[in-house]
Amino acid sequence: MKTSRLGAWIAIAFGSIYFLLPLIATIEFSLRMRRGTYSFDAYASVFSDAQFRETFGYSMLMALLTIIFGMLLVVPTAYWVRLRLPQIRPVVEFITLLPLVIPAIVIVFGYLRMYNSSSILPLTGSTSGTNVLLVLSYMTLSLPYMYRAVDTAMRAIDVRTLTEAAESLGASWTTIMFKCIFPNVMSGVLSGAFITLAIVMGEFTMAALLNRPAFGPYLQLVGANRAYEPSALAVIAFSITWLSMGLLNLASRFHRAAPAKS
Amino acid sequence: MAFLELANLKKSFGATQVVHDFNMQIEKGEFISFLGPSGCGKTTVLRMIAGFETPSAGRIAIGGKEQNNLKPNKRNIGMVFQAYALFPNMTVHDNVAFGLKVAGEQATEIDQRVKEMLGLIKLDHLADRYPYQLSGGQQQRVALARALAVRPQVLLLDEPLSALDAKIRVSLREEIRAIQQKLGITTVFVTHDQEEALSISDRIVVMNAGRADQIGTPFEIYNTPATRFVASFVGTLNMIEAKVVDPAVNRIQIGDQGVTLKQSVAAFKAGDTVSLALRPEAGSLAESAPCDTKLTGQVVSAHFLGSVIRTRMNVGGNVISFDMFNSPGVTPPQAGETVTLRFMAADLLVIRD
Repeated sequence: MKTSRLGAWIAIAFGSIYFLLPLIATIEFSLRMRRGTYSFDAYASVFSDAQFRETFGYSMLMALLTIIFGMLLVVPTAYWVRLRLPQIRPVVEFITLLPLVIPAIVIVFGYLRMYNSSSILPLTGSTSGTNVLLVLSYMTLSLPYMYRAVDTAMRAIDVRTLTEAAESLGASWTTIMFKCIFPNVMSGVLSGAFITLAIVMGEFTMAALLNRPAFGPYLQLVGANRAYEPSALAVIAFSITWLSMGLLNLASRFHRAAPAKS
Repeated sequence: MAFLELANLKKSFGATQVVHDFNMQIEKGEFISFLGPSGCGKTTVLRMIAGFETPSAGRIAIGGKEQNNLKPNKRNIGMVFQAYALFPNMTVHDNVAFGLKVAGEQATEIDQRVKEMLGLIKLDHLADRYPYQLSGGQQQRVALARALAVRPQVLLLDEPLSALDAKIRVSLREEIRAIQQKLGITTVFVTHDQEEALSISDRIVVMNAGRADQIGTPFEIYNTPATRFVASFVGTLNMIEAKVVDPAVNRIQIGDQGVTLKQSVAAFKAGDTVSLALRPEAGSLAESAPCDTKLTGQVVSAHFLGSVIRTRMNVGGNVISFDMFNSPGVTPPQAGETVTLRFMAADLLVIRD
């Protein structure tokens, strides 16, 4: 008993060192820009860089659009599969898992072939078209997480009976969706949204190959040309991810405090 | 013309037909119960009335207006589900107000109607609570108020009491009946609990394998079951196999004992086997009991059930149960003892399969 406990503690200590040491080293390094003393100079340099603000703002906007359109795609799909087409559920689950097994570079090359300026739908022919394509590709990347989060939240409520109750009270399809279903799967939607935010903020391949000014390519650019700023950016990126995870945790706690099942 | 009319209703799921030629005429303000075991098609008929299932054939009409092609949200039907189905994100007030808001009623009218409905179910003090803060019985009362708030043409109750404990079930069914009578709303109630159906219905439809075996008042269903299924499903019943001796005078034989029935057996030939039914409470061992028929047999067992003693006796291979009221002066018969059961011949019913 004692030996196994000791083994567990050793594993935890090893894991903590493995994960935390590089992080502490990065934070420490990011504070050493000024010679001989710790300072936030690297962070000041990053925040004063117009390109940082531009790329960060751009990626935040892309993340927001991805979340909104992802939700509008995933929630009705998960709802419809649960309510009317449970037999195709394995197929839908398989499709939503595809972005995990197909590398992003393969997907983006596929997009470039399908939607280049000489195709029927020349999305890459204009800036706005490419932005649309980028949002769509982010939606694809976040699909496995978004679908699972929403589907799990839907499992917690009796979708069929709630729908029938609302229908018998005269509600239309849109009223049912926005008044009865969406609010009750909000914890799942929020979980999916925060994961999507974290994915979009750090994504490099899609944005770089579609030549859009996103935060991922900026991180790579700064990393290749500067010394201390990349560490500061890495810490900022970590902070965004942790903030997302914290909010995700908060959302699931809120969900537990007000159980959806009546 | 009946208010709610179900004509030649059929429903199939793939190759399986679950409702066969269902016909029913329900008057305005009537309380009808669909009674039957699981899988008999009672809920399917209810869901067809609500519009959640499309009939394979037949006609559904309310107030003379055909409903078959109307979507559920256009039928103006209130429904209460077994699983309550309250919207978890809304308070009691908002749940009751939901249908009224969808109908686009004025805020003041909505508030007034919600108050009225919550007063009706005596839960006005819980208007700000969420469904998860209510007990099962309270949730079901809110679901009832929500269904009634929109002034539906017909109220459908799909086993609304099944998820509740026994005590709440009895009080809530009485409350449902009182509210239904007060509002005079046409109601269809689905249940597998015979006691529930017998206690609150104007008429009962006993369903078996997708067909209505018998439609009648609780009194008719209990006292004159039309089929063997109805007889066995509603209440406890003794099924007795007898031989027809003389169909002209309704003379039959149970074991080696002759009995003259009040019901006709003219459709049978001498020597045919006929199924008879006798309620346990129809017989008595007391010599003073009013009777015109007697059967003698041997006691198989006697069980003390509190207020009654249920005795089983063997008469010519048929085991017949009968109940005696318990009192300090009554001595339960012993197994193996020969006893005489006295009853009225009118209580011995001829049952068709």
